[in-house]
Amino acid sequence: MTVAWIGNRETLLERAVRHAAALLHASRCPVFTFDTDIHGTRAAIALAERVGASYDHADGAGLARETALLTDKGGMFVAPGEVRRRADLIAIVGELPEAHREFVAELAETVPDLIAINARQFFLVGGGGRGLTLGNGRKATRLSCGKAGLGGTIAALRAQCAGRQVSTPVSNFSRFQAALATARFPVFLFFGQSADGLALEMLQGLLADINRKSRASALHLPASEGGWGSTLASTWMTGFPLRTSFARGFPEFDPWRFDVARQLAAGEADFHLWISDGVKKPSANSGDTKVVVLAKTSQPVAGAEVTFAIGKAGVDHDAVVYSARTGTLNSVTADAASELPSAASILRSIAEHIPAGAELPC
Amino acid sequence: MLTRIKSGEIVDPVNGRLGKGDLWIRDGEIVETPRSGRADRTFDASGCVVMAGAIDIHSHIGGGNVNTARLLLPEEHKAHQARPAATPLSNAGWSTFETGCLYAKMGFTTVVEPAMSPNAALHTHLELADIPIIDKATLAILGNDDFLLSMIRDNASPRMIEDYVAWTVASTRALGVKVINAGAAAAFKENVRTFSLDDVVPSYGVSSRKIVKTLQAAVDRLGIPHPLHVHCNNLGAPGSADTAAATIAAAEGVPLHLAHLQFYGYGTEGKRKFSSAAARLAELVNASPEVTIDIGQVMFGQTVTISSDVMRQFSARGTAHPKKFVIHDGDGNGGGIVPYRYRPDYYGTVQWAAGLELFLLITDPWRVFFTTDHPNGAPFTVYPKLFEFLMNRDARNEVASTLSKSALAHSTLASIDREYTMEEIAIMTRAAPAKLLGLADRGHLGAGAVADVSVYRKGKDIAKMLGRAALVFKNGDLVVKDGEITHYRWGRALRLNPPPDRAIVKRLRDYHEHRYGLSLDRFTFPDSAIQRDEPFREVPCRA
Repeated sequence: MTVAWIGNRETLLERAVRHAAALLHASRCPVFTFDTDIHGTRAAIALAERVGASYDHADGAGLARETALLTDKGGMFVAPGEVRRRADLIAIVGELPEAHREFVAELAETVPDLIAINARQFFLVGGGGRGLTLGNGRKATRLSCGKAGLGGTIAALRAQCAGRQVSTPVSNFSRFQAALATARFPVFLFFGQSADGLALEMLQGLLADINRKSRASALHLPASEGGWGSTLASTWMTGFPLRTSFARGFPEFDPWRFDVARQLAAGEADFHLWISDGVKKPSANSGDTKVVVLAKTSQPVAGAEVTFAIGKAGVDHDAVVYSARTGTLNSVTADAASELPSAASILRSIAEHIPAGAELPC
Repeated sequence: MLTRIKSGEIVDPVNGRLGKGDLWIRDGEIVETPRSGRADRTFDASGCVVMAGAIDIHSHIGGGNVNTARLLLPEEHKAHQARPAATPLSNAGWSTFETGCLYAKMGFTTVVEPAMSPNAALHTHLELADIPIIDKATLAILGNDDFLLSMIRDNASPRMIEDYVAWTVASTRALGVKVINAGAAAAFKENVRTFSLDDVVPSYGVSSRKIVKTLQAAVDRLGIPHPLHVHCNNLGAPGSADTAAATIAAAEGVPLHLAHLQFYGYGTEGKRKFSSAAARLAELVNASPEVTIDIGQVMFGQTVTISSDVMRQFSARGTAHPKKFVIHDGDGNGGGIVPYRYRPDYYGTVQWAAGLELFLLITDPWRVFFTTDHPNGAPFTVYPKLFEFLMNRDARNEVASTLSKSALAHSTLASIDREYTMEEIAIMTRAAPAKLLGLADRGHLGAGAVADVSVYRKGKDIAKMLGRAALVFKNGDLVVKDGEITHYRWGRALRLNPPPDRAIVKRLRDYHEHRYGLSLDRFTFPDSAIQRDEPFREVPCRA
């Protein structure tokens, strides 16, 4: 089984590792993009530290909005298990991403068992032009505010909840108000793909208002489960979330400067390490940027100096991943174990071929 | 390899060794003086104090809430780069890697993360595994989880509750059990805003006292060496000394550990209705031999409060500095992150003085433990200064002279002359923690002990002496020399492993599938998930 190519030519894994390490060592501004499990992330960050790279996730934009809510504002959040067992009002904030439809369907098919009200009501805040049909044929009541957009709709909702006048009232507000008045534990589901930073901050403002006298919270369903796991690992390893760089010899977090997609588009980077065991592929090679790819592939990736075939975490090899369903990191056993190497093992091998620096942290 | 630490002043209260002598290490273990008398390497410890590696029993160094605090406060870390001396929180190190290095430099070799949410055990252990050099351990949080509260409500047998506690400890790889504001997090979800020892959790009809007593009994009967670790109700509130006194009384002869007692050392005297009640609590602790406590000392400066006492943190959100916070309703406790700056004003002075009074008025160093509840009272990097306050009355009086006189008027601190001796420091930070946690292999320098050894160059400046160890050995490896890391190694997490009861596992499996729609397997993990060689070391329960 071929797992390494230099250009279009098959090669030994060891030779490809040495070549990738040499390219990386020679680079002046390396950047990493990854979409991998916790141990792949740990190995990537360890390598980034050794070579002074910046790193980001392949779904960086949505994750960055979610991260900014934490770094700039904070908020009130709830575990998904508590949502299933306690939430009697569910408000979906913005368009529901495909990845989270299954959980919403589950919520529609179950009722809370930890509170006296054994029923749930569903609302959709904003959410573009489409309505939302839930798993068992139920529909979410739409709360919209004309062309105000999601942030404007939440702002109007918050204002109306506080008894203030608004120029364009939120549709179905009275139904929402009545539901909120009797709800024991309302929960707002939010996603970085669908809501910008101001919308998320306004949502937390609404929650702060409600929590003065009763209870409510928000469930974070991340733009990318793998990406949120990587965010957590980066945070404990460096103190900072993704979009952190070791270029100056210590970790620096700057969500604009170390937006790797921006760095590549601006021609700042001369080396791009792309790591993804999923379906995502690197964008086209720009200019003189050297590209090394770790991907689940059976052939070399076009434009890559070196390609490594890796297994998918949790499928080809055991893994630790973030689960939006549990709200934490879970261990996953490979369900179709193969001999494809993990991203972590390739990255560690590359790091071992970088001329001596500090001892590797993993 | 045979190592000789030569001519140091050995302070080993457990084995009665106090005075000049040699210490011998073979590989990772302390040994008697070998007959040959020839060492492969020798370190001259003349003019140095030689003690076992220090053990911190309560420091929030890893897990979901700690990581959320990191996410919430990137600016505190950034400040570290520019001005490390002026920003204590930043000095604490905000990454797992810095945490291990900074602890090791002070001669600490084992640290307990005291608040692990069982559902986030894997996350916690992954973080701990990335803390280098030192050994770690965790306490699993119970007491706000539906499974336990339902069992208590339904009058489940003590045996069934013990089986659940044992399963939780084993599956989460914990070293003990902690209860945090028992019942309050569950009550908060039902919009209850204050919760005391005899208040009842809605929907369950179970009082906080009942939860504490149930868990205390289960921990004791299971032979878990560390007594139930209790974070009491009403943390930080004026008059919370009454709650702490009631909890101490509730021990009723069975071992109980009260965490960060300083945060309950408050009375209601003075025009601000906030005063130190530490002397009263110290008297109660002195009279209750079954009770142990750690302090949770406050030191002035910026920090962040990280607690699974979600109700308390919610009520403190208005004090956030900078003005941002996270409140998380978890499956059991959840938690709250509220950054805070301790100022040397009236309130800060009361807290600072109350902690020191507890340290100095509790007479038995085997029952009082050295903590700042990192980072809640202060980051652990203030430890050297805190040692100085305990060992030098002039140092603390000098600081006190700059603080609120009206606050100190309600405190006994000025009247206390006691200064801790080095032997008492060795008991409080080495021997007693090892005994409390059931770690027979450390906390002393006897033959057979793990070769965790700290060597400090004696000097008048206590903070300097204890802040930068001259030598630190972890499992016999030299890891620190002259206050700098010389060798990077990986410690283990110390854990208990009581055998699971099949019936409770089946019941839990049904419970998770029915109530959460998830397999119990989602909440457990194999050791291999940590991806370190031997990530755990098993500690036996009492027979």
